[in-house]
Amino acid sequence: MITARAGLRLVQHRIAALRRAVLTEVEDINRLIYHILRGGVIVSVAFLLFGFILTGVTGHPLPDKSIPPRLLGAELIRFTPAGYLNLGVLVLIFTPVARVLLSLLSFLEERDRAYVLMTGIVLTNLLISVVLLA
Amino acid sequence: MAMVEVLLLLAVAAFLAGLAGSYLGIGGGIFLIPFMTLALGIDIKVAIATSLIGVIATSSGAASVYVRDHLTNLRLAMFLEVATTLGAIAGAVVGILVPNIYLFLTFGVVVLYAAASMVRVAETAKDRAYRGGEDERPLVKRLNLSSVYFDQEDQGVYRYRVERPGAGFGASAAAGVFSGLLGVGGGFIKVPAMNILMRVPMKAAVATSNFMIGVTAAASAFIYYSQGLVNPQLAAMVIVGAFTGTNLGTRLLVRSKAANVRFLFAVFLAGLGIAMAARALGLFGGVL
Repeated sequence: MITARAGLRLVQHRIAALRRAVLTEVEDINRLIYHILRGGVIVSVAFLLFGFILTGVTGHPLPDKSIPPRLLGAELIRFTPAGYLNLGVLVLIFTPVARVLLSLLSFLEERDRAYVLMTGIVLTNLLISVVLLA
Repeated sequence: MAMVEVLLLLAVAAFLAGLAGSYLGIGGGIFLIPFMTLALGIDIKVAIATSLIGVIATSSGAASVYVRDHLTNLRLAMFLEVATTLGAIAGAVVGILVPNIYLFLTFGVVVLYAAASMVRVAETAKDRAYRGGEDERPLVKRLNLSSVYFDQEDQGVYRYRVERPGAGFGASAAAGVFSGLLGVGGGFIKVPAMNILMRVPMKAAVATSNFMIGVTAAASAFIYYSQGLVNPQLAAMVIVGAFTGTNLGTRLLVRSKAANVRFLFAVFLAGLGIAMAARALGLFGGVL
């Protein structure tokens, strides 16, 4: 219970830090990338921790295989450890993707066409991976 | 070995991989995969999938710090990421189709190559300094790839010019293929490519490589995740361990001379490469 509360406080702290960053430091893309990358890992760890706590509380077994994203929703509603551990892993996988999206926005703002194109290609490649995932 | 022991050992290994990875600009998979397969007896494809997760954690943890400290060349990273993501998709598709023995053999060769390239790298302040002379390559100028960074080692601000963008692009594509194929970040190709081919100063190359690795690994990790090859328990240990390790590794890098430590790791990698190749070829009774 103590760890759960500590974890929650850590997440709240991160979200507050991210909001401050968005509000006051939009001009500094480096600062924003810092918060996206770090925040992504922290949120991921929070979900993983929650998954382990659920195992302790409910007695459900720990999973040893990844769950396809389309089946994940049902697991999350039923509060199974498998659901939240997999969600934690997925959040981590999507963290670098969020960073690329942020880069795209910043290059769009700068009207830097060559870099908007390159970022678009990188995102397309990542999308191809997601399609292969299905 | 009991599951609890495996998980604890993996967390410690991931901590060390995150520490070394953030310090050397690699994902750390190059240490984690052999440890998981050789010491913990985990199936290599599960090990690769777990390692990719660790690579993302290492990259995100380390890159966040390097980006904040303006050590990372964001434009160069974006340029090379085009190559690495393309390569990664090709590599991951090949990885699911190819038998394990070829994975071990390829890994052995790649690790030996990395060792050789690390020994060759040594950098002085003079090497870091801006070189005049001929004009920048048109592509470098057009994409505004050259940059500036602050080095805490000698409190100097270094302006550097990126050379040979085409060769660097090609090497990054190869790094991407290895990343998808073997679940390593490919940093051991990217760092020497940037440092030797493109003449990016060592610390900037390490920071930029760390930054890129997460995206390349994400592309591959998606594919492994969908195959049901990610074990969330192992992944959880690796994420926590690696992230903690990067908090120490990033602090070390900004202060120290990378050249000395690189040599030690080159020796370590050489041993590792021989071990992996020996396993693939069935030498030493497959004990190694």
